[in-house]
Amino acid sequence: MSYKIPMGPYHPALEEPYKLDLICEGETVIDSKLHIGFNFRGIEHLAETRNHIQDIALMERVCGICSFIHTLTFCRAMEGLTNQTPPPRAQYIRVIMAELERLHSHVLWAGIAAKLMGFKTMFMTCFELREKVMDILAAISGNRVNYSMNRIGGVNRDITDPASILKMVEALELEMARTVIPIFTTSRTATSRCAGIGVLTTEKALSCGVVGPVARASGLPQDLRKAAPYAAYAEMDFDVPVQPAGDVTARLLVRALEIMESCKILRQALAKLPPGEIHTEGEKFIFTTGTATARVEAPRGEVMYSVSWKEGSRNPARVHVRTPTFAVMPAIRWMVKGARLADTPLIQASIDPCYSCTDR
Amino acid sequence: MTPLESISEKLGITEAWIEKGGVHWITLDAAKVRELAKAMNELHARFITITAYQLPKDEGFRLEYHWDLDGQLLGFNFPLAARSIDSIYDLCEATDWIEREIHEEYSLEFTGREYEPLLLRQGDTTGVNLRDAVAASQEKK
Repeated sequence: MSYKIPMGPYHPALEEPYKLDLICEGETVIDSKLHIGFNFRGIEHLAETRNHIQDIALMERVCGICSFIHTLTFCRAMEGLTNQTPPPRAQYIRVIMAELERLHSHVLWAGIAAKLMGFKTMFMTCFELREKVMDILAAISGNRVNYSMNRIGGVNRDITDPASILKMVEALELEMARTVIPIFTTSRTATSRCAGIGVLTTEKALSCGVVGPVARASGLPQDLRKAAPYAAYAEMDFDVPVQPAGDVTARLLVRALEIMESCKILRQALAKLPPGEIHTEGEKFIFTTGTATARVEAPRGEVMYSVSWKEGSRNPARVHVRTPTFAVMPAIRWMVKGARLADTPLIQASIDPCYSCTDR
Repeated sequence: MTPLESISEKLGITEAWIEKGGVHWITLDAAKVRELAKAMNELHARFITITAYQLPKDEGFRLEYHWDLDGQLLGFNFPLAARSIDSIYDLCEATDWIEREIHEEYSLEFTGREYEPLLLRQGDTTGVNLRDAVAASQEKK
């Protein structure tokens, strides 16, 4: 006999507004149904009622973790509509900020995953490390969460002392390599909870259209930083970690390896930071009629913005935001099928879901 | 044969692709949407999203479908004569949520599928054009 267990919308294991109805037989999940929309904010519609400066601030609030990525994608789309090309230094600063955000996001995720595994010491270690990344972000931008770094044609703040940032990155990299990654990849507490659970096969990953680390952990080697480079990524030497197993361990490994790749990119970008301006001249932009599309590889995967403008208008005619979690979350249904009930919080957390992005 | 030529051949179209801002665009008749989904599946392209546009006055709606083909962004433009288009959910599972979202926000029908409320929780009313509903409620105030 099957029975339904509702998890959420405010489940102690997942303290964000999202609900999963699990259909179980005994301890085994045989099917599930996802519910979102508990905090749907109508941001796309709000964007049509604001000008481009107000919209940058609005888009920064689509996601509390990837706030830089959202303004970067939005500004890149608007740069297409205003025919602006950011100067090389701005492109490098964008790479540095984006990679710091990836580090901050991945370490935050590692902490939450550790907590769900019952590994609370690791949770505290990860959050201590995350603070160090936040310190770097605050040192550059003056802010811990919404950095206000992007503008049409470049960035708002310069990196005046790359050597000091490099020092902080090196310390962080050492700590990651010495503590976090070995414990996550070798300790029995982590491996026994993660191996072979929440499997998403390569075929299913492709048909569900999943993105980012979840796709890469299911054997799909997709990363926009390589496939369609933007900002200064074409000048960076880095690898895209791919794992074929599709389970929680694979997602953990992909993110752990990406932390090291991000540090590698940061060292290169800080060392090669070119001199010059950080944004194009002028504050007033002429928007041409049309639609511009931009994509960026966020920590959770591809973010895509379509921005439509009518010449002479103060506000965009349409802004469409496709966030990574919106693409990945439906696949949870396949990951929890056949899993033990007790594993479902960790399986859900393994996609690093962002409810804020989903309910944009 | 390039991937773009291969798509054109599969769909039996002769129109030229237009490259704009890094996206390869083509405009198709709404009746071709299922053929398009099959062609994209054959090429192992990754579905990204659908963007709905409500055109000014009574000009109707337009849908843009996006797929990624090895890093190349493809855009398919579908002007809609009616408020409906065939669903491709059975061919491309990744379209499930976005079809449901567009149905809820614009009252457009994706024929051949069933809907469950996705984003809208209060009253679970779906199939209402939210833009018109919001504008009407603001006028009342």
